[in-house]
Amino acid sequence: MQHQQITHSGDSDSIKVFVRVRPLTQGTGLTTDGDQGLCLTVTSPNTIRLHSKPEPRTFTYDHVADMDITQDSVFSSVAKNIVESCINGYNGTIFAYGQTGSGKTFTMLGPSDFDNFTDDQRGVIPRSFEYLFFLINRESENAKSFLCKCSFIEIYNEQIYDLLDSASASLFLRENIKKGVFVEGAVEKFVTSAAEAYQVLSMGWRNRRVASTSMNRESSRSHAVFTMTLESKETAKEVVNIRTSQLNLVDLAGSERQRDTHTEGSRLKEASSINRSLMCLGQVIMALVDVSNGKSRHICYRDSKLTFLLRDSLGGNAKTYIIANVHPGSKCFGETLSTLQFAQRAKLIKNKAMINEDTQGNVR
Amino acid sequence: MASPHSHEWRAVCDKFNTAQNLSEVESRKDPENDPFRSKYKARELLREIYCTLKNFDVGENESVNDEADQRPTEQPVDGGMEEGFGRGHCGDSPAGSRAAKLGAVEYYLGVNHVETEELSAGEEHLMNCMTLLEKCCISPENVSLFIQVRNQLGILWAGRDEIEKAQGFLETAEAMYIRYMKEDGQPPMDLTEFFVAEEEALPQQERTKRFEMAYTHTLYYLAQVYKNLEQYEKAGGYCHSTLQRQLKFNQFIPLEWAINAATLSQYYITKTLYMEGRHCLSAASVIADLAGEVPSEASAQESEAEAEKRDQLRQKRAEIARCWIKYCLNLLQDAKKLLEDNIGELDMDRQAELRATRLQEEEEKERGRKSAVLFGSSDTFDSICGLEEKVSCVFPVDFEEARCIFLVGQTYVNQAKEYFEMDGHVTDHIEILQDHSALFKALAFFEEDLERRCKMHKRRVDMMEPICKDLNAQYYLLVCRQLQFELAETYYEMMDLKLAVANKQNDLDAHTVKKFNHLCSSSTKFYQMFLDSVRSPEGKWPEKLEDEVLRPALVAKFRVARLHSRLISSSKTVQLENLNRALECYNFVVQYCKDNPEAKSAVETELELSEEMVSLLPLKINRIQANLASCN
Repeated sequence: MQHQQITHSGDSDSIKVFVRVRPLTQGTGLTTDGDQGLCLTVTSPNTIRLHSKPEPRTFTYDHVADMDITQDSVFSSVAKNIVESCINGYNGTIFAYGQTGSGKTFTMLGPSDFDNFTDDQRGVIPRSFEYLFFLINRESENAKSFLCKCSFIEIYNEQIYDLLDSASASLFLRENIKKGVFVEGAVEKFVTSAAEAYQVLSMGWRNRRVASTSMNRESSRSHAVFTMTLESKETAKEVVNIRTSQLNLVDLAGSERQRDTHTEGSRLKEASSINRSLMCLGQVIMALVDVSNGKSRHICYRDSKLTFLLRDSLGGNAKTYIIANVHPGSKCFGETLSTLQFAQRAKLIKNKAMINEDTQGNVR
Repeated sequence: MASPHSHEWRAVCDKFNTAQNLSEVESRKDPENDPFRSKYKARELLREIYCTLKNFDVGENESVNDEADQRPTEQPVDGGMEEGFGRGHCGDSPAGSRAAKLGAVEYYLGVNHVETEELSAGEEHLMNCMTLLEKCCISPENVSLFIQVRNQLGILWAGRDEIEKAQGFLETAEAMYIRYMKEDGQPPMDLTEFFVAEEEALPQQERTKRFEMAYTHTLYYLAQVYKNLEQYEKAGGYCHSTLQRQLKFNQFIPLEWAINAATLSQYYITKTLYMEGRHCLSAASVIADLAGEVPSEASAQESEAEAEKRDQLRQKRAEIARCWIKYCLNLLQDAKKLLEDNIGELDMDRQAELRATRLQEEEEKERGRKSAVLFGSSDTFDSICGLEEKVSCVFPVDFEEARCIFLVGQTYVNQAKEYFEMDGHVTDHIEILQDHSALFKALAFFEEDLERRCKMHKRRVDMMEPICKDLNAQYYLLVCRQLQFELAETYYEMMDLKLAVANKQNDLDAHTVKKFNHLCSSSTKFYQMFLDSVRSPEGKWPEKLEDEVLRPALVAKFRVARLHSRLISSSKTVQLENLNRALECYNFVVQYCKDNPEAKSAVETELELSEEMVSLLPLKINRIQANLASCN
């Protein structure tokens, strides 16, 4: 288990990538029943070989987990460290990425029915809650007090919806000099225990489902972002230290839905299918400006809402783990390749974590 | 051929109409679990039409029937430009007309199959259409079909990642349009008109509009093809032509068009084509105004639609203003690059040179301009030209000219800030401030009076320092670092200027010394802040600097060293202290490069100077120490 140690010990700041291979199952529509062909092999705890033709390709990540990994060890590898950092004042983000049916929700939440807070199969999110509050309780003994609030939003079709207030209209992203990017008007619930946090999560998750039937959209087409904001207060030597940090847990839309963003390749945008407005001309021009020679220029097209909201986690100032879920079936070769490639690109994004310490000289 | 009034022909026309309606209107309402229901129905009708047409009497005993049935030995493929242009039947001969009609049905079948994700079948139909057309020459009846079938094949092949093949079809379409407009040019028939009764033919104006639209699409697809082929210059040209044609034929959404044009201006700026960039921006500003008045705040509060419109209009206009800022900024910076000597000061000889060549260049540009594609319909052309006149597109050579450009830039800075307020748009707001600061910096280069130049830098400090203090580094690390570094550099520059002014005077008064030292320590403070941001949260300096901070961090150390050695003090003890600190920093740079040889190339000059100082400074320190000892 030498490799695992490397992942745990080093405090390298780049985004870390964890690849998880789900087991083959019958009748998911992703495997043709009977065709049990696999398109990949896990060759070591941090490499995966994809049986591509003519040459097989090997990808290397911080960690590769095969089908038999337990939920608990996924949590230990991915989230433990990040939750600890959050307590110490860093921002942290965990993404789940992959094709629909590759096990994102299982990894993050666990089996789909919701009264299983004690279930062995529970996912990264409930385990993170438990660990977070375990640490909070421990730290609270040392004259440190914590305040924890949660928000839960969904991004669908570039619109932001509040999952904790299903009646609200779409919300806006704003930026503040002190608290960075935030969703204006999103409901924030104070929580004092893991069970309460989990309650907030499941309430929001249910809203996500409701929305998916009433507005006729699939849940896998939307991104869900659960944010915990943690504020700690410590009084030492007549000085009050306040630290805030955020833990973002993100369930991304199925990667196959994200064709329009980057993986599209050379396909031409048709005028007829985009209602005669030549929207994509802008994309072409943007590409021209993009390759420019380091001159100062302004591009009018904004980032997507998701990248803007999580800008901080992608190459900003936070600790980030991406869990790339893949399905091993040979039918999923194309999607798996694109997921593995995405995960490899993500490795290139550098991250730098830094403590935010607001030292107030109030003498009590 | 069935007579145009026959019962049979009417039935065909009706069928075609129904198919069109199914495909374009009904299909949008198809349920998600049966998404192509209407398309499949339309397909059936088209097939029926095809059979009926085939069975129609050819008349005049021409043997077209057999000919049309023969499978071609090889499929026509576009690529060679003029190859495969129509030959054979005249467009309006009965045989030609029949072939064109069959071709049109094949075309619609092809599009139908492509839309229902049956690409190979779609390709086959489209190729059949090409084959049928091969037998016709280009005429007003079928030229539109010639072009549109190629557009579709272009899209099809690009979707299969065979860009060169797509390029071939599209380039042929382009060439056909050009040739047709040169040789014939009368408003051609639209594809739908193959299947309408004569009395329902489209008016000439509508025909022109549809035909030109098809060609605009050809250019639009070519822009995408060239982008995918990484032929950026060509892609840029096609984007420009597409925009120009949208405007000319009044087929655009103002805000969208304006944003596209503004973005295109940024492409021209990076190519130092300022005349073209200015033209795009002027057009963008004028067309954005066509999108209507910005709703008032009051009306925005009353209705959500108004609120959204208000936000959209304000945002897009602010975006265009930001493109203008970049225009002014780059023009000033490029001029500065042309005019500066090896120590970064205004080179008088070059200034004279540039002035001399200016006249000549202007004439050339004017000539070039006549051949360039200009934006504007008759309504907007004058306003676009009017806006262009407000700012120069040639490099400024002296302060007066630079100031004019600076002022235009500053106006746009204020305009952009109205929407991108600090509260709500932190990143954008700061980017605008950084540009404003850069505008001042570029302008200062042209200022000959050092005191006034110094004041310009003070303005930069005033706009950045308060933000740098307030900004949360947990969320804006990169921006914080940029601001810290820029502030440090600005103070450094001011310190240099003060020194230059002081050197002209004979003696240094206490006030000047105080001011000078203040600038030195302010600069040091911000370099130090930047350097601290590189440390780990526990305050540890990293063994290895990350790539993106490698050079700035070493430069900062180097500058801090110089700043320490420059501080003026009459006390020997303080002098000694400062020199020791300076030595420490120089040593750091030298030692770091020794430990990490790959860093050397990033800081060549700084390293060389640091090494020199590491060998010289100890002598100076020893001398002062000896001096101090002897005094005691």
